[in-house]
Amino acid sequence: MLQQALTSSLELLINKTLSLNINNVELKKLEQKTLVVVLSELGFPISVSVDNGSILVSGLTERADCTIKTSLKTLQELKAEQQLTELIKQDKLDLSGDIKVAQQFASIATNLNIDWQSELASYIGDVPTHKLMQLGKKIANKFQFAAKQIKADASEYIVHEKRLVVTRSQVEQFNQQVNQISNQVDDIATRIAKLGKRPN
Amino acid sequence: MSVPEQNQSPDNQNTTSDDTTHFGYKTIDKEDKVSMVAGVFHSVAKQYDVMNDLMSFGVHRLWKRFTIDASGVRPGNKVLDLAGGTGDLTAKFSQLVGKEGNVILADINSSMLNVGRDKLRDKGLVQNIKYVQANAQYLPFEDNTFDIVTIAFGLRNVTDKDMALRSIYRVLKPGGRLLVLEFSKPEHELLNKAYDFYSFNILPKIGELVAKDGESYQYLAESIRMHPNQETLKTMMDNAGFEQTSFKNLTGGVVALHKGYKF
Repeated sequence: MLQQALTSSLELLINKTLSLNINNVELKKLEQKTLVVVLSELGFPISVSVDNGSILVSGLTERADCTIKTSLKTLQELKAEQQLTELIKQDKLDLSGDIKVAQQFASIATNLNIDWQSELASYIGDVPTHKLMQLGKKIANKFQFAAKQIKADASEYIVHEKRLVVTRSQVEQFNQQVNQISNQVDDIATRIAKLGKRPN
Repeated sequence: MSVPEQNQSPDNQNTTSDDTTHFGYKTIDKEDKVSMVAGVFHSVAKQYDVMNDLMSFGVHRLWKRFTIDASGVRPGNKVLDLAGGTGDLTAKFSQLVGKEGNVILADINSSMLNVGRDKLRDKGLVQNIKYVQANAQYLPFEDNTFDIVTIAFGLRNVTDKDMALRSIYRVLKPGGRLLVLEFSKPEHELLNKAYDFYSFNILPKIGELVAKDGESYQYLAESIRMHPNQETLKTMMDNAGFEQTSFKNLTGGVVALHKGYKF
C-alpha cells in the first residue's frame, strides 16, 4: 500500500499548497481533467485530477487525458512549461494524450507564488518566524560555503593533484622492487657471513 | 479467550440452519439479526470515524484508497456504496465520477446514514450523491443499474450473504464490478495470534473508553472471526454469478479486497 500512502500524502500536500495560493483560476480550466505520471523510479502510476478546485491524487489510470512517462529528475525540469517539447525531443519524456493538459498542469506548478514567511508567521508569530528564517539563511549559507569548498577542492584535485598521485600499479611495482632489493641484500648478507667464517 | 475456527464451507458460513444465523459467536434467529446489528450501529454511529482511526491506526484510509484505485472508476460512472456508513468511499467516488456521474450511499442503518449525510454535506459534497436506506439482500434498484458496487466492512453484518451477493449481481450493469473490502484471515500464524489478542483484549477496551460501548466492539471482533475467509468468500461470489473473481490481501490478510465482474 505504498502507492496509497504516497498518493494520500501528495494529495494533502498539494491541496494545502494550492490553498495558500490566491490565484488558482487556472485550476478551473482543468476541471475533471486527469494527468497520469509514470515515473521510472516508482513501480506504479500517479494520477492527478481536478475536481471542484481541489486536486485528487490516486492510482487510477483509466481516466487519463494525458499520460507522461519519465524520471524524477526530468520531472523537476518539467516545471518550466516551455521545457515540455524540448524534453520530448531529447527522448527524456514520453507523452501520450492531450499535451495541453500536461502544459496546464506544468503552468500551475510554475505560477505558484506563495509567501511562505507570512504563512508561517500566521502560525508561530512574526518574531519566531524572523528568527527561524535567519537561522535557515545561516544554515543555507553554511551549506553553500561547504558545497563551494568541496567543489573547489574537487576541481583542484582533478586539475593538479590527480596527475601527481601515485597509481595503484605504481605502488605495486615499487613494493615489488623493494622486495627484490630486500632479497638481494639478504643474499649478500648471507654471502658476507659465509666469507667471514672461512679460515685464513 | 478462545476463538472458534472460521467455517470453511460456503453453505454454512452465514447460517447455522434455515432459521438461525450468527451474531458474533451467538447463534440467533435470522429475523433477529437485523435489529441486533442495527442496535450495534445505532450505538457507535457518532464515534464511528474516530473509532476506525483508533482501531486501525489510520490504516483503514489506505485500505479504502486501495479499493478506489482497484475500482477503475471513470467520470460519468454510477456507483453504489453499499453499507457505506459514514461515507468515506462515497466522498472520493463523488469527486471521481464528476457532475455526469452519480453515487448512491446506501446503508440499512438510519443513524449511520445520517452521520454520513451530515459529514458529506459539511464537506460540500452534494451535487451527485443520493442517500438510500436499504437492505443489501433486497436492493431497491432496477436490474443493470450500476457500473460499480462497493461494500466496505459491511458484508459480515448481513444476515444472508449469498442473497446479498445475488442482489448486488442483479443491480450491476454487464461489465460492472463488485468490490468487497472486509476483514479476513491473516496469512501468518504469528500475526493471527497478535491480531486475536488485540481484537479480544484491547479493542473492546478502546470501545468502552471512546464510544462508551465495549460490547459492540466485542461483537465486531467476534463477527470478524465468523466471517468467511478469503477463499470461501471468493467461492460465494462465484456461486452468485460473478466472473473473474479475485482477492488481494492487505496488511497481511487482516483485510482482503475481493473483486468480481458481471459480464
